[in-house]
Amino acid sequence: MTETADIVVIGGGIIGSSVVYQLAQLLDPSTRIVLCDRGPIAGATSSSCMGHLMVTPGNAQEYALTKTSVDLWRGLHEQLGGFDYNPTGALYLAESEEDIEMVPVLHQQFLDQGDQAEILDQKQLRDLEPGLAHDIPGALFYAGDGVVLPMLAAGAMLRGAQQRNPNVVVRPNCAVTGFQRDGDRIAAVVTEKSVIQTNTVVNACGVWTPGIGEMLGQPRVPIYPRAGNLAITGHHVSPIRTQLLEISYLRFAHAASDVDPTQTDRDAGGHAVNMQPQTNGGCLIGSTRQFRGMSKQVNRELLKRSLLRAHRYVPGVAQAPIIRSWVGLRPYSIDNHPLIGPWDPVPGFWIAAGHEGLGISMAPITGLLIAQQIAGITPSIDPTPYLPGRFAL
Amino acid sequence: MSGRIAGLGDRELVVFTFDDQEVNARQGDTIAMALWAHGQVTVRNSSSEGQPRGVLCNMGICYDCLVVVDGVTVRSCTTLVKPGMTVGRGGKS
Amino acid sequence: MSGADLTQLDTVLEADVGIVGAGPGGMAAAARLAAAGVRVVVLDEGQRAGGQIYRQLPVGMHNHGVVQEPPSHDDGHNLIQSFEGHAKDGGEIELVRGATVWDAQPGRLWFEHDGVSRLLRCGHIVLAPGAYDRCIPFPGWTLPGVVTAGALQVMVRGFGVVPGKRALVVGSGPLLLPTVTSLLGAGVEVVAALEASSRMRALRAVPAVAFHAARRREAMWYMKQLWRNSVKLQWGWTVFACEGDGRVERAIIGKVDAHGRPRKGTERTIECDVVGAGFGLVPSIEVGMRLGADTHMLPVRGGHCLVVDGEQRTAVATVFAVGETCGIGGAEVASAEGELAAAAILRELRGTTVASAVVSRARAERRAADSMLGAFAPLPGLHDLARPDTIVCRCEDITRLRAQEAAAMHGDSMRAIKIGCRAGMGPCQARICGPSLQAMATGVNACAMDVPVVQVPLKPVSSETILTAPQ
Repeated sequence: MTETADIVVIGGGIIGSSVVYQLAQLLDPSTRIVLCDRGPIAGATSSSCMGHLMVTPGNAQEYALTKTSVDLWRGLHEQLGGFDYNPTGALYLAESEEDIEMVPVLHQQFLDQGDQAEILDQKQLRDLEPGLAHDIPGALFYAGDGVVLPMLAAGAMLRGAQQRNPNVVVRPNCAVTGFQRDGDRIAAVVTEKSVIQTNTVVNACGVWTPGIGEMLGQPRVPIYPRAGNLAITGHHVSPIRTQLLEISYLRFAHAASDVDPTQTDRDAGGHAVNMQPQTNGGCLIGSTRQFRGMSKQVNRELLKRSLLRAHRYVPGVAQAPIIRSWVGLRPYSIDNHPLIGPWDPVPGFWIAAGHEGLGISMAPITGLLIAQQIAGITPSIDPTPYLPGRFAL
Repeated sequence: MSGRIAGLGDRELVVFTFDDQEVNARQGDTIAMALWAHGQVTVRNSSSEGQPRGVLCNMGICYDCLVVVDGVTVRSCTTLVKPGMTVGRGGKS
Repeated sequence: MSGADLTQLDTVLEADVGIVGAGPGGMAAAARLAAAGVRVVVLDEGQRAGGQIYRQLPVGMHNHGVVQEPPSHDDGHNLIQSFEGHAKDGGEIELVRGATVWDAQPGRLWFEHDGVSRLLRCGHIVLAPGAYDRCIPFPGWTLPGVVTAGALQVMVRGFGVVPGKRALVVGSGPLLLPTVTSLLGAGVEVVAALEASSRMRALRAVPAVAFHAARRREAMWYMKQLWRNSVKLQWGWTVFACEGDGRVERAIIGKVDAHGRPRKGTERTIECDVVGAGFGLVPSIEVGMRLGADTHMLPVRGGHCLVVDGEQRTAVATVFAVGETCGIGGAEVASAEGELAAAAILRELRGTTVASAVVSRARAERRAADSMLGAFAPLPGLHDLARPDTIVCRCEDITRLRAQEAAAMHGDSMRAIKIGCRAGMGPCQARICGPSLQAMATGVNACAMDVPVVQVPLKPVSSETILTAPQ
């Protein structure tokens, strides 16, 4: 079967779903947009990750990206509904007197971006979260963070896209097997089910992004799977209401790794606990970071380290039933910034991938930036730092 | 109407509380069976809607009969009664 | 003994053979191994040996014939006697009661026991974890008082509890009969016993029963019990809905067609305070899958089953599987396969031969069970009982409509439904809703597309248990 589409989005995770949603908002409802995923929608990283909406204040560039995106999430929830969205705020916990020195540093970072956060002492902390260990010396509370359930959010965005544009086609269980070219340009996407003639393709395949590029004879973009071990408790047992992060999390997470991701065997794995209360009263416990290829085998030793840290901060969680543990694969980009924009060597080929652990946070802004650039509208924020062209050889 | 089958022999009395009511159980009862014999078939509020739930499988598979024993969530159909234990309804409060 | 030694003894157990499940399969394997002097540790989630089929009352209680038992239970008593004989102090069998197995590797079984994280190290493993009731959602099935057929058996035979005053029994397959007789033994009025299969369909089971002496005797016994108590099995009937204020007070019953689809205009209301539903059994395969056993889809045997060779060995050389985990077959199959697995292990440990009689008995029992159960394979139309607003996933309170919407958007598979609406993601890990989600995904019952995924813990255990797991 041969069909035509104005745009084909490959990858039905949170990023691809957001791209489709934003395209449907900005383009005429007659635009035919086809989303293909080789498995279920939101069936890979988007259903095996945490759901944190996290504003990172380290520098102006990343703050603009994360803050704009987390604000967009609030609007999406108001408009679409149908997914769990909990603006819990985040507590950055100091474990020791040594850690506590990091609290004012992080505080200042938020102030430097014109935002605000609150330094809490031991007593204030206990008043806010009685379930915390009583000897935690202090923390920073940032009200702007939250938690969503990504797989339901992906479905909600696609339903929203289809409501606005009846020509949006969602095709799970439909793997892309190759491309047809017309000179440099893309002429068609070949899938298991059909050949889709199109001039515009968005590659939003997360950790599988490099493989799609290779089908076009392009060099591998430097995105590597970075594994995270996660566990979730049963319902109505969570002793906490706020999202918790060790303040030392900032050292491991969302920072460039000094481990070479191509040399996976030497990676001992970083870890810092992140705990997220769920709507049903459960608690999601993460997370670890390790380069070890595409394996989704739970590393029990690393999982135990996360649980140990969780018990340290929230002693009550030790008696909570764990109902499941699993591994999610984050798409880590080698320079620690996502790839959002056109892939210049192949006209009409776009990339939206490489968000590592901030894919959920950054999904709305990623979709918006891609859609604005495809539609020829001035982007909401400067897209230059994220252009994939920085890796073009 | 529930209760106990007569003539199967008697066991030691075990008294515990469920949602502040005193329940007379027998040594070797599970919480679920002690409550059922007592006439208490609802043991949990469902997780999202808060609807009444009770024993479904009675063999540790379904997790529909979850209760909270001294602060810890357990299956009432696999957990034995102990004297003086405090049992509360599981699920949504 | 010092405290440290005690802790060590408590947390790590050693055995030649570790057995999961103390039902007929596990007991038969254990007894035979113990008789040859092999040290066996049996892990079971219940409090006494017997499994679901030969449930024993708590210590201190005795049936004394109060609740009538079918003739096959003589085999059960013999098996229990033999097993418990070896399980006394100083015997070769150690039974760990109330043990929840939550992770496994060849030679290693991790379990939670009375809140303590423990490990069994062993050479061989025999899996006999049994099965659980297949649930079919219908309006009102979440009301307290609506339970599985197995749950009623546990109440009466396992604890001597009277389930209610007026009971309705619904479902399909041979297990409806013992459910009815247990209720009668407990003094409960059975207001109706509804078998969804038609009498014509069930007739296919007749040869398999008629030519099997034990099953024939068993069937005769049940028929006599029902006749004596004026209970009539109604073929081609099932429950359409249960209603009540906070618990079941009445049921709407009606006729179904040959596929199990409800027939409009046949409804009748019946007062009852307890409903037992048993639509067959589902093999418990999680531990085997975690150990690396292969699975295959056999609708006649209840769904996904472990694959074993002619001596009950799985794809993993040291792991054997017997009874329901290899497909539903009943107690006779389980005990025969348990003996066979034990004989195969003894050949390795003791150099003894596997008697051909042991092999042929296991094969014959399995064949007989397959041909009988073929008449009661799940009827796909029963999934039409659920209405759009009927809850299908009880853990997460997910309705049929939401599950169908998820299938439409996320992809036509059980996994897609789970991802798209959270159905099956709660503590039961889709053990209860799995069959109906599979049916929804493909329109046929028990679909072959979705091999279940196993994740650790295999059943929920405390975070502390995972953290303190011995190596």
